[in-house]
Amino acid sequence: MTDFEVPDVEYSRYTNRQLAAIPLAVLAVALLIIAGWYVVTGVPVTPGIDFTGGTELQISASDSPDQIEQTFESQLPYEVDSVVESGDSYIVTIQATEQSEVNEIMNTAEEEGYTVQSAQTRSAAFSTDAQRQALIGVAVAFVGMSVLTFVLFRTFVPSIAIVVSAFSDIMIPVALMNVFGIPLSLGTVAALLMLIGYSVDSDILLNNSILRRRGDFYESTYRARRTGVTMTLTSIVAMVVMTIFSSPLVFGIPLLPDIGLILVFGLTADLMNTYLLNVSLLRYYKYEGVAG
Amino acid sequence: MSRNFSLRENWRIVLLVLIVLGSAVSIFAPVGNGGSAQNATVENASESATAGPTNLQFGLELSGGTRIRAPLVGMTAEDVGFNGSDPQGQAKLERALTNELSLSPQDVRVQPTSQNSGTVEVFNENVTQEEFARALQNQGKDVQTDDIRDGVTDKTLETAEGVLDRKVTGAGLSGGEVSISRSTTGDEAFIVVEVPNKQPEEVVDLIDERGTVLVVAHFPVEQNGTKTYRNVQLFTQEGIKSVDPADQPRGGRPGVPITLKQDAAKNFSNAMREFGFLSQPPCTYAANKNDSGHCLYTVSNGKVVNGTITKGEIVSAASMGDLSTKMKRGDFVDDPRFRITSANLSEAQNLALDMRAGALPTTLNIDEGTSTYIQPSLAEKFKLLSLVTGLFTMLAVAGTVAYRYREPRIAVPMVVTAAAEVFILLGFSAAIGLAIDLSHIAGFIAVIGTGVDDLVIIADEILQQGDVSTNRVFRSRFRKAFWVIGAAAATTIVAMLPLAALSLGDLQGFALITIVGVLVGVLITRPAYGDVIRNLVLD
Repeated sequence: MTDFEVPDVEYSRYTNRQLAAIPLAVLAVALLIIAGWYVVTGVPVTPGIDFTGGTELQISASDSPDQIEQTFESQLPYEVDSVVESGDSYIVTIQATEQSEVNEIMNTAEEEGYTVQSAQTRSAAFSTDAQRQALIGVAVAFVGMSVLTFVLFRTFVPSIAIVVSAFSDIMIPVALMNVFGIPLSLGTVAALLMLIGYSVDSDILLNNSILRRRGDFYESTYRARRTGVTMTLTSIVAMVVMTIFSSPLVFGIPLLPDIGLILVFGLTADLMNTYLLNVSLLRYYKYEGVAG
Repeated sequence: MSRNFSLRENWRIVLLVLIVLGSAVSIFAPVGNGGSAQNATVENASESATAGPTNLQFGLELSGGTRIRAPLVGMTAEDVGFNGSDPQGQAKLERALTNELSLSPQDVRVQPTSQNSGTVEVFNENVTQEEFARALQNQGKDVQTDDIRDGVTDKTLETAEGVLDRKVTGAGLSGGEVSISRSTTGDEAFIVVEVPNKQPEEVVDLIDERGTVLVVAHFPVEQNGTKTYRNVQLFTQEGIKSVDPADQPRGGRPGVPITLKQDAAKNFSNAMREFGFLSQPPCTYAANKNDSGHCLYTVSNGKVVNGTITKGEIVSAASMGDLSTKMKRGDFVDDPRFRITSANLSEAQNLALDMRAGALPTTLNIDEGTSTYIQPSLAEKFKLLSLVTGLFTMLAVAGTVAYRYREPRIAVPMVVTAAAEVFILLGFSAAIGLAIDLSHIAGFIAVIGTGVDDLVIIADEILQQGDVSTNRVFRSRFRKAFWVIGAAAATTIVAMLPLAALSLGDLQGFALITIVGVLVGVLITRPAYGDVIRNLVLD
């Protein structure tokens, strides 16, 4: 049976500090980006219309994005946030939340010869509430996962290793959302929650292999890593394929690219966190922390 | 494979096969929906073909149309003390509150929930919680502002759901559906209206008014020597027993024949006598709006507050006509048939629809909700393309697994098992009539990912160096693998539960499918894959 070409990390050549340095540095950069974003824009990550309220139209038109923006702004009193190309149509985001305004916008679009393929409106009140709920949802999921982890392993260091790693798995994609300009939507929130579940798999596998099995630390790590890397890579491949096919460049299906991309970011971060941060914490626990 | 395949040892595989077969039945077997199956004995093949080749149902995003999600206007005071078995006392409280807050009778609702208490609701945006609490206090009720919450009672929600459902069906919007969406925390509830093939504007037009039909007595009174007009509400839809289709008799005016309930008929008759309608000249609304004499108004979507019609449209103003003689003779209460006329036939049809559907207990606050419209052709495209995306994802996973194991005997069952998991989920969706949307598709694809992950754990654990010579070794290794899988499944479920519970709408489906997928995986497909691997290694 052949193996993936996993770079064979010679863990024994590096100290725990050296191993943990990279993921912790990446996490620090991610947190800095999020904090910086918060200082500059007032929010840790830019919310999309799901959380701010607004109207999103998908139209097919022969005009250029600039022309579309001008048409809407000259005909209507509402501000056009953006016009983005998606496949053979455009996604237009407009700051209007009342149903009468939406009817007006749809009628204007049709008078201008655009075909309205889809229209979504979220009111400000609904969105504020969605934001609160989403935040509570992520917090509850994270706390629930943490509690469950402690119940499963009943020892501090290995449990906290999983929790820290899952935290980083969420923070890194959030920072990358800011970098790549992906707004926070219901889809991305779902993906972040999914990450909590997904990323913990390989951590549990590693912890279980090292703590609950007989045998040498490096051998256990190697075995868990071989299985874990296969798992995570398979998931990454699945999500990359889903993201590419559903992206505006190919099929232009909503929701799926958001979920896919966030999971790709998070799972990649998880490879690093599990096999550098988690391993170093477990080695510390196994060789030095036991007495304490 | 194994030379002697024992059913008893491989019951997990057998179970998996049975469940997959069951799912196939659930997805593909022609199901008679309602009467069509019985009628369609001759051409049932073509009948079922119209609904598509499967029993899968698709939601708005994959079939097209409009979805409006909106809360109801209103606030509720819970546990207000009053005698629960005294309808007259409750009606008195309603009237007192109506007067004090200058509301129409439709805007206040008192409902007993126990022997000595109940809820009081106010359905009007202009009343503040403070005003409501003060009005209740003035009626001797011990209610503070903090006791009043936004939102309406479950009963009101259900009434609204029923009314909207009848409206959507009555308006001939086929496939339209009305439901209540609640957060499990219970503090939030929305009415969701889904109508295929329609644009938001049409749907909003249908649902944004309460659809109240009022019949109002409009008549002059002398007050300190000056003539003023009074309006008294006679009955609403609630007083109507049955509604015939709108019609237009030859040479007559279009209208809707209705039959009143006995109580309403008695009230109506008494009021007519009291207000002097039985001996007055005909209504002259058409000639002189402002001094029309005694008229019966039919008001749609209106309100009568303190003797004035404050809202709505007067769809017709009629004289008593034959009714006078009938009421004079005292026949009306025993034969309370009556005709509501209107200006034209289409208006009469709207009236009939509103009267049949009933009035909404309160208005939908559409501007505080969401609306989604998807062109049917785009939705069809999404359906096909997301299927293709799912297939490519599956292929990519298969490729990865094949590359990793280079051993078809391990990789092929792995991919087949993961596919079975998705297939079972589809069967589950068809069986419970789940309307599949994009969020569910994302869930299906996520399930492929987690499913294969766990199969990798099982395969690696069992195939690790050292021969699996006996069933005992196999079992111990399988159990070890299963501990990891179970723990991972538990964390995924914990992570998804808040999403399934919150009323974030679009994402509840994703969470539901992921959770069910994980359960199907842990309980059915992954143990079966363990059996497959055992047959391989113990050979």
